[in-house]
Amino acid sequence: MQRTSVSIALTGSGGAGVMTAGQMLLDAAAEAGYYGLMGRTLGPQIRGGESAALLRVATRPVQGLDDGHDVLLAFDWGNIERFSAELPLIPGGIVIADPRNGAVPEVMRRDHHRIVEVPMQDLAKAIPGGRVNMVGLGLIAELIGLDHHYLLDRLAKQLAKKGEEALAASKAGLDAGAEAAAGITGLEPLAPPHPRETERWSITGNDAAGLGAIQGGARFCAAYPITPATDILEWLAPNLPRVGGALVQCEDELASINMIIGSSFGGVPSVTATSGPGLALMMESLGLAVASETPIVVINVQRGGPSTGIPTKSEQVDLNIAVNGLHGDAPHVVTAPLSIGDCLFATQWSVHLAEAMQTAVIVLSDQSIGQSRAIIDKPAEIAFIGKRLVPETIEAPYRRYAITADGVSPMALPGQEGGAHTADGLEHNEFGNPSTQIDHHQSQLDKRLRKVVGYDYGDHWAMIEGDEDASIAVVTWGSAAEPCREAVQRARAQGFKVRLIAARLIHPIPLDKMGKALEGISQVVVVEQNHGGQYYRHLRAHLDLPGKVTAFHRPGPFSLRPREILQHILGQ
Amino acid sequence: MDAVAPKPQDYKSDLKPVWCPGCGDFSVLAAITRALAELRLPHKDVALVSGIGCSSRLPAYTSLYGFHAVHGRALPVASGLKLARPELTVLAVGGDGDGFSIGGNHFVHGCRRNVDMTYIIMDNSVYGMTKGQASPTTAADWTGSKLTPEGPGLSPFRPLEMALSAGATFISRAFSGDPLEVTRQICAAIEHKGFSFVHVLSPCVTYRPEQKGWREVVHADFTEPYSDRREAFLRLLDDDGFTTGILYKSQTPPFQPTPKSVEPVATLGDQFAI
Amino acid sequence: METVEEFIAHAIALEEDSAVRFDDMADALDVHQNHEVTDLFRKMAHYSRLHLAEARKLGEGMTLPDLKPWEFKWPNAEPPETPDQDATHYLMTPHHALVMALDSEKRAQVYYAGLADGSDNARIRELAAEFAEEESEHVALLEAMLAKYPAPPADWDEDMDPPVAVD
Repeated sequence: MQRTSVSIALTGSGGAGVMTAGQMLLDAAAEAGYYGLMGRTLGPQIRGGESAALLRVATRPVQGLDDGHDVLLAFDWGNIERFSAELPLIPGGIVIADPRNGAVPEVMRRDHHRIVEVPMQDLAKAIPGGRVNMVGLGLIAELIGLDHHYLLDRLAKQLAKKGEEALAASKAGLDAGAEAAAGITGLEPLAPPHPRETERWSITGNDAAGLGAIQGGARFCAAYPITPATDILEWLAPNLPRVGGALVQCEDELASINMIIGSSFGGVPSVTATSGPGLALMMESLGLAVASETPIVVINVQRGGPSTGIPTKSEQVDLNIAVNGLHGDAPHVVTAPLSIGDCLFATQWSVHLAEAMQTAVIVLSDQSIGQSRAIIDKPAEIAFIGKRLVPETIEAPYRRYAITADGVSPMALPGQEGGAHTADGLEHNEFGNPSTQIDHHQSQLDKRLRKVVGYDYGDHWAMIEGDEDASIAVVTWGSAAEPCREAVQRARAQGFKVRLIAARLIHPIPLDKMGKALEGISQVVVVEQNHGGQYYRHLRAHLDLPGKVTAFHRPGPFSLRPREILQHILGQ
Repeated sequence: MDAVAPKPQDYKSDLKPVWCPGCGDFSVLAAITRALAELRLPHKDVALVSGIGCSSRLPAYTSLYGFHAVHGRALPVASGLKLARPELTVLAVGGDGDGFSIGGNHFVHGCRRNVDMTYIIMDNSVYGMTKGQASPTTAADWTGSKLTPEGPGLSPFRPLEMALSAGATFISRAFSGDPLEVTRQICAAIEHKGFSFVHVLSPCVTYRPEQKGWREVVHADFTEPYSDRREAFLRLLDDDGFTTGILYKSQTPPFQPTPKSVEPVATLGDQFAI
Repeated sequence: METVEEFIAHAIALEEDSAVRFDDMADALDVHQNHEVTDLFRKMAHYSRLHLAEARKLGEGMTLPDLKPWEFKWPNAEPPETPDQDATHYLMTPHHALVMALDSEKRAQVYYAGLADGSDNARIRELAAEFAEEESEHVALLEAMLAKYPAPPADWDEDMDPPVAVD
């Protein structure tokens, strides 16, 4: 029998080349026609820390990690006790260890794994210029049945600059590893890949968010580096100028958010990217964007919190602040990508929403999807209809904040004759003049709310899958969607009638659409990765969920896995 | 050039300032409008950005595109606007609290960044909109506020030295009681290519009525702008805080990212293709 | 000052600046609900504009020098007839307003009288004398008005309520 999915963990301390080996394995698998993804878990050290590449290779599209790894290959055991909990093996999983690193630590032995010892360091040493990660890579590739020549192709590309000797040494390492794999049995090989019908991409969530921002029309980004959002900025910095835009590195997050408010006031769709601490700093000016009706998008790549928290690892913990962090009554939009690949669509959509509604949109990505790479089908090109409403002709006196049916007022841009006005964070009348009057406050509050709750979000608000006649609904958001999706598929395979509602639009909750999606449901399970059940509480604050309602949530940094979700569903 | 030269009044809006009668900011508003008329800048192509405070109310009193942002953030908003729309003339205005206290970091980095825009600070050494507390430029022994009954006890911020250290390429000081000089400096600042900082001593008649006496102590002794930082620094060591004129002007190319080429967006995805 | 054109350019700027300043001050007093002084300042602005029109008329047909605001030659920082910005107060009385206006007119009178005495250009001397004479009339007029508005009690600026926090 052949398997359709295999999960591999590569671990080792800095210098072992774990990430490089993992990346090459994923690239080679993609070249061969497989789908897959690679996540990572890293220690806090800048160099030399413990790290693990978490890979999954499959014949069908996958964007989430499986319950556990089939194989764990350890180049060494540095600090394994710190993160062994993030490296679960399936029962009977194979641990490949190097006897030179001493006995396999107790923490990796206790679940009756099969321990296989391979002298990887010795094999590497026997090759002039040999590297241990190449030995490991050759071993794993052989073990899962990935043809060698795909690896060689990758090597040739990667080592082109280093010359023939380096290539030969790496090749010898791969061969040595492959030979060592011969004696390892018990892992069914991967089924051959399906023929590639469409173009495929290899992309990280953070790169996808950057591309989504540009596809949505963003041409200006001002930002301050912060883990794990910096990758977005590093991608945008060289790519924005290619389409006539620019990225500016700022002195802090306060400057970032205010700079994009300025650029957007100038008519240029603008974004910034940050993580929890930066988002907290941006709150005041998010309110300014709402009050002044200046469209902006903040891509917030969540990490463990509160405070500095766990910067390198994932949690879905910023929903509360994203939804409720603004002072005053400040209607705005919060979205969340549902997978690595969806970072593209969700961010593109968010720029569109911000522009169409002239408001602030916060995108809640997180480290688990942002810093993971997936092999996906090339995303379909989407062009949203509707953009920022700019007046074609202006009647004097210009009413920047005119009360309109849908709440959106035509926004004149500097340079436009007759459209001069002062955008203001002070409450104002229709002309933008500061006002403390009851009727001005009421009517401006109303229009700003109307824009956001009256907007037609279409079908993009959620991914809905599963049974028409479902009685159980799994309601989730953001990065928890993929493990939930897999859990729902398994539950249905066992005969349960289950529906998945994975929300891309977190706030405002489209009450009518959510109500419709929950029709016929008598059990609701709300799933997310945080300690406090933030989405669960958000939902309960805004609508009556039908039937028996339970919440399944736990903090990071170990990402949610399908089995635990399935157990919760079945336990109900 | 337009057939009819614009009038300063053309740059004012119908909104009447809420400033206390006698406030120095009236003269700065007049000087800004006069400078814009003098430079014949079309209304639609000038933007005025401010933070929070008495002087930050200024944009709404003009007929220009304006942005009255949050406290301390005038410079980032103005920078973003100028970087995104380099063809606009961008001015940021505000007070000493807005610019040197809550916005102090942006002041330093605004000077460093050298975006081609003008920052006008109306300095009255007091927070007028919150009932007269000490600001960064208040003397250490000023006991006029309930918040610091013994005086703030801190040595006052020296805006010109800060600006010079941080890299501003145009630095001047004027007194609102000499609005024609304010006008001259604003014109020169706008025409300067780079970050220009105009420090205007602008009395608060409500909380610091003694500042009316500034008229007697200002002296126009920054006669010719230095282009050498060393000379400008040395000159500032002798500054009593009331020297007016243009202190420093250097030719440093402004910061302005310029896209090299414009490709179709669709090509960006190619880098991800397997 | 050497040419008549230069002189007229100065006369125009002097009246224009005065009119604008009185208007600005009227607005400021209006915002602070001091309507009596508002009206007085509006009147002063109106008179300045009348004189401005006269000065402009004189300049018709001439090519006046295109001076930048700071290139005018005034005895002090501002044109002589421009009232001091910081002399206004939200509780000021018509008495104070008239004193201010009187000061302005006196300064203008002194300015023109100086040119009438000291200019090398005969036509400038002649025009300046005329203008000085006019300003003297204004001074007399304002003095007469001021007689009707004696100085208020010393506590005129007392406000029992504290200032308001705004932002």
